[in-house]
Amino acid sequence: MTTGNRIRLFLLREVEHSLRTRWFLTNAAVFMAGGVLLVVAGSSGTLLAGHRGYARALAGLAHFAILFVPIMALLPASASLAEERENGTLEYLLAQPVTWGQVFIGKWLGVSVAVVLALSLGYLASASVSVFRGVPSSLVLAIYAFLVLLSLVFVSLGTVFSALSDTRSRATAFGIGCWLVLVVLGSLGVLAAFIRWGAPAELLAAWSFFNPVEAFRIGVMTVLDPDLQLLGPVGTGLVRRHGPTAIALGSAFSLCLWILLPILGGRWAVSRRRDGV
Amino acid sequence: MISARGLTRRFGSQTILDGLDLEVGPGERVALLGRNGAGKTTFFRCALGLLPFSGDLEVAGVDVRTDGLEARSAIGYVPQRPPHFDGTLEDLVRFFSGLREIPSARVRLGMSELGLSLDEHGRKAVRELSGGMLQKVLLALAVAEAVPVLLLDEPTANLDGEARAEFLRALKRVPDSCTVILSSHRLEDVRAAADRVLVLENGRLAFDGELDALLERSGSSPTVWICTDRTALANLVRLVEDDRRVIRVHRNGVSVGIETLPGNIADILTDVRGEGIPVDDLRVEEPGLGGLFPSSGAAAESSSGAASGEATR
Repeated sequence: MTTGNRIRLFLLREVEHSLRTRWFLTNAAVFMAGGVLLVVAGSSGTLLAGHRGYARALAGLAHFAILFVPIMALLPASASLAEERENGTLEYLLAQPVTWGQVFIGKWLGVSVAVVLALSLGYLASASVSVFRGVPSSLVLAIYAFLVLLSLVFVSLGTVFSALSDTRSRATAFGIGCWLVLVVLGSLGVLAAFIRWGAPAELLAAWSFFNPVEAFRIGVMTVLDPDLQLLGPVGTGLVRRHGPTAIALGSAFSLCLWILLPILGGRWAVSRRRDGV
Repeated sequence: MISARGLTRRFGSQTILDGLDLEVGPGERVALLGRNGAGKTTFFRCALGLLPFSGDLEVAGVDVRTDGLEARSAIGYVPQRPPHFDGTLEDLVRFFSGLREIPSARVRLGMSELGLSLDEHGRKAVRELSGGMLQKVLLALAVAEAVPVLLLDEPTANLDGEARAEFLRALKRVPDSCTVILSSHRLEDVRAAADRVLVLENGRLAFDGELDALLERSGSSPTVWICTDRTALANLVRLVEDDRRVIRVHRNGVSVGIETLPGNIADILTDVRGEGIPVDDLRVEEPGLGGLFPSSGAAAESSSGAASGEATR
């Protein structure tokens, strides 16, 4: 059997498992309700007409996504391998003619597909409302692409926590800790601290691209409208210096690295677990 | 079929397998015994290529260190605890037969040979199935591919008596060509499934031979319980207490337990009947394997002795 076929079996099993659990529909429904509410309320209440009004509404959706999407991805990903280890299934899986790498990648892909499906269902409603109200579909698609990248970053991180933890609860705790560090402390606290102590602009810019949540925010805001004054001083400075296309691509590249590096690191780390399982 | 030379596995400063040498040939039925922590599960994990080790280890001619994947293809494995699986029995069979590239029909046939119908139970959630049924499914999956090696890691540890007996009956249907290594703490499992016993102690092979030889060497013997009527009880006790072949005599109501070596049982029973003592019921109680490994079995041995009102000769 080829590597691809084995990975496909794990992928399908993970997707089937996700579709059977309540979180899939709950997440899709919450993201759908939150997204539609923000787009409708944001565009109705704005003083800015036309494109700018809806851009602000979509920016609200993006900020909601920054809080919600990481949790939506981290929780199932953190459970994926640790739960199997905790209940003894992982040893039986690894006793089959498969490699750790195939199990790891299959699980990652499976959770990724399930999370992106839930995200897509949730986004579909707010995207439809936006397009119906005149937002260019290319803009809606670009934001969707950033949302997918953000969710995959946290699926990667969650899968790594899961692969390295003995229990599901420990993996989930790592996931929530990661969410706190990157979303709450990293996005707000660290930037505030940098500004408070007058860190150089280059350091602030580097941090913005180092933190995937900030990279997502800057990428989305740049795509929406760089002149919207939602980018913040760091983002605005970066756009002025390098241009919106380079910053949007740079954000996407940073997110791609955040997807790939944890997978490679996690794959290497699990192969060194002292109990082999 | 399985060959280990100087197999060593350490966890930090602790050595679990310490230069283990063993050979198991094609079609052999071997029981791997040892107290908890002796290295049985570690040996299985090494054979499955799940753990790095030093030394040489071959399974079905495959060097496990360099080709763990190929080694796992040659091994059917039944763990102590059946895996939790979200979904139906059909989903489970489809997934694992897919991983091993076995046609589902062959697994279905194997299951029916073990007395399990996939048509009847296939739509049941796996969590609704009994442990015994699930272990038999795993056994069917393990042997459906005609693997040359079957590793059973305490497969009956969590089963009740009936399920255990069913599993052991199912095990007898494994093709003769398949090499079976079973680890267990139950003597009846070992007697039913193995012709040869390997005992691990401190990560090394401490015994290699037949079960009765091991029991004889360790002084562990079966106990024959004879139930007679009250009038013959005193005669029976006197007879067996005077018999040099009897190691210990136990009393429990109108039952008398005679602890002796397996080879003496038939002769002693002939003598009992020759004295005209009626035998209303007869039962042979195997000694616990725990007694063979002093550090893990001493407590169990002493507690069972106290309960039966032992009269040691």
